[in-house]
Amino acid sequence: MRLRRVWALVEKETREIKRDPFFLLMAFLVPSLFMVLFGYGLSLDVKNLPFWVLDYDQSKTSRDLVYHFVTSRYFELKGSLLDEKKALAALTQGDIRLILVVPEGLEKTLVAQRSAPLQVIIDGTFPYRAQVVKNYVTAIIGLFNKKRLQEFFRRKGFTEQQLETMAEPVRLDVRYLYNEEAKSVWSIASALIGMILLMVPPMLTSVSICKEKETGSIYNIYASTITRGEFLLGKLVPYFLISALNALILFAWAIWVFKTPFRGSFFFFILSALVYALCSLGIGLWISSFARTQIAALMISLVVAMVPSFLYSGMLVPVSCLDQTGQIEAHLFPAMYFVNILHGLFLKGLAWTTLWPEFMALVVYTLVVYFLAYISFHKRVKR
Amino acid sequence: MKRLRRIWVLTVKEILQLLRDRTLLIATVYLFTIDIFLAASGVKLTLHHAAYMVFDQDRTQASRELRGRFRSPYFDLKGLILRPEQAFGALDKGKVLAFLDIPDGFEQDLKTKRQARVQLLVDTSNAMMGYLVAGYASQIVAEFSQEQMLTQLGLTEEMLDRFPLIKLKQRVFFNPNQEETWFTALSELLTVITMLTMLLPAAALVREKERGTIEQLMVSPVSTMEVFLAKILAMTVVILVGTLISVGIVIEGAFHVPIRGSMAVFMLVTTFYVFTSCGYGLLIGTIARNLAQVGLLTIIAIAPIVFLSGTWTPPEAMPIWLRSLMAFSPLYYFIQSSYGIFLKGVGFDFLFPKVGAMFILGFLVLGLTGFFFRKRFIG
Repeated sequence: MRLRRVWALVEKETREIKRDPFFLLMAFLVPSLFMVLFGYGLSLDVKNLPFWVLDYDQSKTSRDLVYHFVTSRYFELKGSLLDEKKALAALTQGDIRLILVVPEGLEKTLVAQRSAPLQVIIDGTFPYRAQVVKNYVTAIIGLFNKKRLQEFFRRKGFTEQQLETMAEPVRLDVRYLYNEEAKSVWSIASALIGMILLMVPPMLTSVSICKEKETGSIYNIYASTITRGEFLLGKLVPYFLISALNALILFAWAIWVFKTPFRGSFFFFILSALVYALCSLGIGLWISSFARTQIAALMISLVVAMVPSFLYSGMLVPVSCLDQTGQIEAHLFPAMYFVNILHGLFLKGLAWTTLWPEFMALVVYTLVVYFLAYISFHKRVKR
Repeated sequence: MKRLRRIWVLTVKEILQLLRDRTLLIATVYLFTIDIFLAASGVKLTLHHAAYMVFDQDRTQASRELRGRFRSPYFDLKGLILRPEQAFGALDKGKVLAFLDIPDGFEQDLKTKRQARVQLLVDTSNAMMGYLVAGYASQIVAEFSQEQMLTQLGLTEEMLDRFPLIKLKQRVFFNPNQEETWFTALSELLTVITMLTMLLPAAALVREKERGTIEQLMVSPVSTMEVFLAKILAMTVVILVGTLISVGIVIEGAFHVPIRGSMAVFMLVTTFYVFTSCGYGLLIGTIARNLAQVGLLTIIAIAPIVFLSGTWTPPEAMPIWLRSLMAFSPLYYFIQSSYGIFLKGVGFDFLFPKVGAMFILGFLVLGLTGFFFRKRFIG
């Protein structure tokens, strides 16, 4: 390994990047842009759910019931016209997410001391949303029933003290750990650092090498005395600098724009982010050994990075909730280890001693990737 | 006639070019089949086997009864523990999502008609899942609580009807069993189509620029629009074949997504979408100077298009300024139409405004592209 040769390549590469200011701008703009879009756009908090009421009862009780929904911050009344066809059309259009159907005679039934049905029709296109809607509706009706039950017992002559216990003999206190207000933007913004650092860097290295292949300038490398190790290293250095800077910028976004708390060691964050960036760039180097054109390199980078980092990293779904194949897949990609570290440092405030196994997994992963890139890159023309 | 022939020749050239890049071809096939399968099969966003631990300090029949309610498919017991520290360790490591703490004297409280309290600690480092865990746990406990109330009053479960309460009857439309694969497989297919239709035409155009073959096209009798049209046509053929394979093998074959509308209509809508989306791709190809730029520009364009499409985040949950940008995401219209055709079985009155808006967007973008292209190459 001759450092002078590596340095020459680094210089050439740096100059090439600098002379393409558009590319340089993009290399820094894209990660930040992603952070903004995904951070704001991927909010899975369900709120302001538009709904429609078909109140066939038009009584005091039914109005009180609807009022419970209207005043909740999770629901927003969009229509109350007594027209089933219109309501269903709005549901199909996606203008509303649920329809409340209050049947005729609701109040009468309740006054007669019997239970009365309330029908709720939910848009099930996106099952996650449907599940959350169900939970909210159930919670609101639960509250409504609790009040009615207390009223019922009060009239039977129980004391105020007894009422609380009578209506709810068992009570669940839920406490949120790590993300005390359960803000989805906190979970997402911190995990996004891992996702973006897996999407952009492989593209930079793989496209840079495949560009030389396509324009033919790679033949200069083939014919020169530079070894393949030196070549890969020289390609790596400038993009590593870009990616490391990006890691810092993304960190700043998460902390200052999305106000995610950071409760761990900053030094450990930097250390693991650098290893992860190296790993990600290495994947790009490896891709370039079998992709022949830049466009193929781009596509493979996107395919390798997007789906696994989005779906199997623990960003959307905790890895412990995945099924067997999903768990295996999650362990096959580096995103999961880094997202664990990120959530550990940002939200959980874990010490590096707890996160050590994840970090070691990243190191081993990186070494394997570089080994693969090294053995599959040849200074020979492939047939 | 001559014009048609020219377009035809160019289209064949584009398709041949695509087919001869074997890596690219494999990547395309992968995207249409395995990628969609992987994306849809492994990941469940709904609550599904959430791992939890129980610290049962009461160890009575009542406490056993309560913790027995937290069961599959929503919950998965990972262990009864003797010290709370064990649970905190597991929560830290992400091995479990929740920790149920039943205090001593739980049964005693129930018997003496005092309010019994149990605590649930939820890992919300993943807020979405934490929310669901909390929601389901609350429902389970509320049900248990209601039964306890009846017992305390000496009544049976059927007698609950004697109370003046609201009984909730929930029905889920369009996807009654809430099969998540229906949603994910379709959304992944639409994303794949978007990615390919933007990336490939942009790359094809820039490759001509990089190699200088664009100059040959400029001096030949073909017009700018004919060059574009040929690239779009070639893309349409590739995407339609890919979509048919994908729907046949993965979406129908593996996941049994219903097609309540007409498949032919879906293919037609897809054709319109390819036209619009290719317009965006060609715009990128016209602006970018080399492929590295194309890559970065494409993902810059794809990310907002996907995230403003309303797939993951519904419009009502977005800030106003983002919501107004949704009108420019062609995927928004395509997704509405596709879910409409597959899951809702909608007709033309539903599709017409959406496809129309999409098409207008396509024309605008293509016009803009033509303008930039002429400015750059013809002067």
